[in-house]
Amino acid sequence: MGLTAAVAVAVGLPAVLSDYWVYVLTIAFFYAAMAASWNLLAGYTGQFSLGHHTFAMISAYVSTLLMAKAGAGFGIGIAVAIFTAVVLSYALGVVCLKVHGLYLALITWAFAEVVRNYLRMHFSFTGGDRGLDSALLFGTLKPLPYYYLFLGITIFTLGVIAFIMYSRIGYYLRAIRDDAIAARSMGINIVRYKVLAFIIASALGGMAGAFYGHTIGLISPVMGDFNEMAMIIIFVVIGGMRTQIGPVVGAILIRIALELLREQSEIRIIILSALVIVVMRFFNGGLMEVFRRLPRWLHLKSAESVSAYEK
Amino acid sequence: MNSTGPRCEWSQRGPAIYTGGQRTIDFTLFTQFLLSGLIMGMLYCLMSMGINFIYGIMKVINWSMGEFFMIGSFAQYLLLLYVFPAHYWYAGVVLAALIVLGIGILVQYTLIKPMFVGIIEAKMEYATIVTIALSIFLRNLAVAIGGPYIYTPPDYAGPTQVLTLPLSGNRVIALLGAIVVLGIFYFFIKKTWAGKAFQGVAQNRSGIQTAGVDVLKYDMLAFGIGTALAGAAGALLAPIFLVHPMCGLAPTVRGFEIIVIAGLGSIPGILLAGLLLGLSESLGSAFISPSFVDIYGFVLLVIILLFKPYGLFGKPERAV
Repeated sequence: MGLTAAVAVAVGLPAVLSDYWVYVLTIAFFYAAMAASWNLLAGYTGQFSLGHHTFAMISAYVSTLLMAKAGAGFGIGIAVAIFTAVVLSYALGVVCLKVHGLYLALITWAFAEVVRNYLRMHFSFTGGDRGLDSALLFGTLKPLPYYYLFLGITIFTLGVIAFIMYSRIGYYLRAIRDDAIAARSMGINIVRYKVLAFIIASALGGMAGAFYGHTIGLISPVMGDFNEMAMIIIFVVIGGMRTQIGPVVGAILIRIALELLREQSEIRIIILSALVIVVMRFFNGGLMEVFRRLPRWLHLKSAESVSAYEK
Repeated sequence: MNSTGPRCEWSQRGPAIYTGGQRTIDFTLFTQFLLSGLIMGMLYCLMSMGINFIYGIMKVINWSMGEFFMIGSFAQYLLLLYVFPAHYWYAGVVLAALIVLGIGILVQYTLIKPMFVGIIEAKMEYATIVTIALSIFLRNLAVAIGGPYIYTPPDYAGPTQVLTLPLSGNRVIALLGAIVVLGIFYFFIKKTWAGKAFQGVAQNRSGIQTAGVDVLKYDMLAFGIGTALAGAAGALLAPIFLVHPMCGLAPTVRGFEIIVIAGLGSIPGILLAGLLLGLSESLGSAFISPSFVDIYGFVLLVIILLFKPYGLFGKPERAV
């Protein structure tokens, strides 16, 4: 019910906003999709990928390079880009998820730096730090079509995640997160489902990244900067880990706050990272937990039993 | 490594032998690359040892290791600028390591310790997110305070020669310093009572408490020592990697690659993996192309993990 209202508001919003804020919201939706798909992996499955932004960057580069060097169309470029994200995440997942929960984080972190440095250094092919001009998907710089595109991508991402979470696989993933050994003893092939979650999350991130490249029109290795990954973590943690809406709420609210505070460049991210530490330390649950507890704090509702994990 | 562009690249890699498509490699250059690889590998080990030590004791990865490296470099730079004259760099290294030790203990006390005494249920998640946020916090704080500039500390020693090989004095000093620090660390772990207590904590946290070891105190000390190793590496490498807010990034990537190649928790593995990584990077940049120096180590890692999923010396985790 609330969700339908939110989508209705989002669809109607460009009518009252200036182009500038429509564009800000478009970028916010990109980060919302990234944060939601990272939450599937880190929040629900308990596997930390620190290369989520890298998959978005790789997809953007693959799609752009295919169009620039091989003359492919948007459809083929984006499809191949998503396929690349799937193949790469499958290869990485098989290599690292067999062993230890921390290996995925370690290797994706190294992977992110390696890919970023490769793109910076191979100047003749990738344009180096200067970046590459990417063809605009709708051929215009007006933000309106891109706004609806990214609204759609965010809703699609949330839909895929909700579908997984309410299916058998979703229960497997949460079981693996809570206790991998118990899950294995119940007959779950934990490696297979961890790899599957990694592939789905990376493919969703790759899809968002491929479209993002064709939206902003200029892709560069800055997309692979670790600050981008930190942003995704910040959105998820402040919005609320292990909630389906939390990362989206966090991403949109924080992107708007960042835009309002754009005069203070580094200070913003310093404050946000400090806020993440405070949230993790004292209030593990983020904004969604605030919303959930608000009625009780205002004495609108009697006390109820509290479950640590949202369904 | 190349996170700061061409200037850094030059200062670390020595003479470029990429001569317009046609590469000529004679024996002197080859041995020099070999030696340079060994030196860099040894230095990466220092970083890796700190990560591994913290993991061994507390079973968490400290993702902000690179920022402690950066703090060590900045401390060394400021000490040499304002406190010591340049030829007392060794006093600077010791003091910088001690400063980082203090900061590390403070961080452990305020942020990591609650993990073991509080009610936090998802320990790995908590530690990962908090140390990543800390890393972003420190890095951007450094940019906010010091600006995005590259500072150059004075050289520790002039160019030297080993037999017929010309060598940068800074690298020789960094190598000797790394060996001394690793030696002290090894002596501390193997020969002192506290070191034995650390081994006990690493083996069995609850068991060692029955022997009267205060595990929480040793956690704090372990985090401090682990970060101090990174700080010492930062101070030793300051003239080679130069001092800037991102200077910890490249050594940390290598540090993580090394512990994955070696297998989590293996000390001899780290030495071997560090040297392998240094060699593969310097030989790769000699024979293939110096631009892609980051890739060779990663390729080595993937190849080793394909054949030995637990790393060279790692053993399958004991699942209780």
